[in-house]
Amino acid sequence: MALLFVGLLLTIVVATAFGPVRLTFADVLRTFLHPSRAGEAQAIIVGLRLPRVLAAALVGGALAATGVLFQGLFRNPLADPFVLGTSGGAALGGALGIFLIPTLSFAGFSATAVLAFCGSILTMVLVWYLARASGHLAMETLLLAGFAIGTMLNSATVVFELHEEASNSGLRVLAAWLHGEIGVPAWSQLALLAPLVAIGILLALPVAGRLNTLALGEEYAAQLGVDVARVRVAAVILGSLLTAAAVSLGGLIGFVGLLVPHFLRILIGPSHVRLIAASALGGAIFLILSDTFARTLFAPTEIPVGVFTAFLGGPAFLYLLNRRSREATQ
Amino acid sequence: MTSPLLEFRNVSFSRGSRLLLDRLSFAVEKQDMVGLLGPNGIGKTTLLRLATRLLRPESGEILLQGKPLVEWPRRGLPRCIALVPQELEVPFNFCVEEIVAQGRVPYLPLFARTTSNDRKAIDTAMDAVDILALRRRIYSELSGGERQRVKIAIGLAQQPQLMLLDEPTQHLDIGRQIELMSLLRDLNQQGLTILAAVHDLNLVTENFSSVILLTPEPSWITGPAADVMQPQLLERAFSVGQSELAQYFTAPARSELIEVQWD
Repeated sequence: MALLFVGLLLTIVVATAFGPVRLTFADVLRTFLHPSRAGEAQAIIVGLRLPRVLAAALVGGALAATGVLFQGLFRNPLADPFVLGTSGGAALGGALGIFLIPTLSFAGFSATAVLAFCGSILTMVLVWYLARASGHLAMETLLLAGFAIGTMLNSATVVFELHEEASNSGLRVLAAWLHGEIGVPAWSQLALLAPLVAIGILLALPVAGRLNTLALGEEYAAQLGVDVARVRVAAVILGSLLTAAAVSLGGLIGFVGLLVPHFLRILIGPSHVRLIAASALGGAIFLILSDTFARTLFAPTEIPVGVFTAFLGGPAFLYLLNRRSREATQ
Repeated sequence: MTSPLLEFRNVSFSRGSRLLLDRLSFAVEKQDMVGLLGPNGIGKTTLLRLATRLLRPESGEILLQGKPLVEWPRRGLPRCIALVPQELEVPFNFCVEEIVAQGRVPYLPLFARTTSNDRKAIDTAMDAVDILALRRRIYSELSGGERQRVKIAIGLAQQPQLMLLDEPTQHLDIGRQIELMSLLRDLNQQGLTILAAVHDLNLVTENFSSVILLTPEPSWITGPAADVMQPQLLERAFSVGQSELAQYFTAPARSELIEVQWD
């Protein structure tokens, strides 16, 4: 865990140094120590690089931690942060922002970010109530309702795409956003979302402890005195808040929430408390690296970071999976 | 006079429109070893789930140590009564020790760390069922017999007065069945009260002190094993012919002749 933490700090420094204007690590460290000093390097770091790197860290950490929460809650290694349909609401909110009010912003938040955040939260609330309508809450119903609502809302964004015939700029922005793209956020945006993500992850730790018991099955957990309903509500609320925060900063970035928890589960074991802490740090590192590649590899053209997470993560994941299955057969 | 450890008083329960248990009453005394018998779908698992408050009876009352089940605190109940389920599937690669440790959850508030006391209870539980050597093994890779022991270890880590087991010998070969029954007898001799749903009639007469036989009416018969395990009762309960039953099961000598009345 300490190793991961040091790794995260190093990654932040290294990633901040990389970009169209190559900076030395000394520049970066000097800026960290004296942020108010004027200079070209400082301007680039404070104005562009660092907010973006920190945003990537927040998004990666939030998505990976949510992945652990949802995989544990649904006892399903294939669950990811968007499994409850939040992606649909976020996409619709994002599309609204991109097409209707692209220039509006408050307190450093673009309309897209705010609407995406609200979209994912509202979707979650809607899915939760739909799933509860049948009386008591069944996890299967929750998943199915999430899938249905998510798909419906995703499809609704097509209306905007049709509406926008004259210029294609909105479409391109939306396409990039739907693949996940971390822009340069305003510091005020970071100041609001960083505590939200940090508190969300901290509160997720005790919930994660109960997820270990829930792994034995909901009925078994109930028999052992766990308040299963409360654990569910807590996991879903924390997961949706974290996902919404991530989506408002970076659009829909796939693979992080699925892959990072898996990767770390193979390395450090399945116990959810350790796993959630490690995934938050590991997810942050992974997304900073992905985003750094995404913005530098074909500079000045940027690739959506979501495309990169798939490129980087996919093969690594398959390698680990393959190694594990070979160990199992031995 | 002390109250029985577990007592059902006129407990009724339906699934859908089908009445499963009809005013069922019985008592399990401390250190009893009770076998729960009956044909498939008769309500054995339901009875065990009622006793652990996973289901609520429609009418009637269930008492644990003389106190109504509904009055037991959420985490107090699993410290007194442990249910070992028929199947336990665990996703992810949890190892045996991590799984047995879940038996301590009733003793741990949300933010508490495991104490040396918990460690000891976990080790003692694993030792009792002889799985200390398996502690680092992945649960999902264990054999049926090993899994059964792990499940019992979770229950023992709860340090309960009463252990309920749902078909503990299912999927086990005859050697593992005999091992398991002798393990349960040992635990019983050390003071643990046991109520176990079982299918194999031959295991019952040798190992259990008394029997609850659920019959399709719905009704039930309860008494010492030697009295209940009589062919004419079993034939009716399980709807089999006399000669077929005789091929599988040898009735014990009756302790005394009793006349059981059928409704």
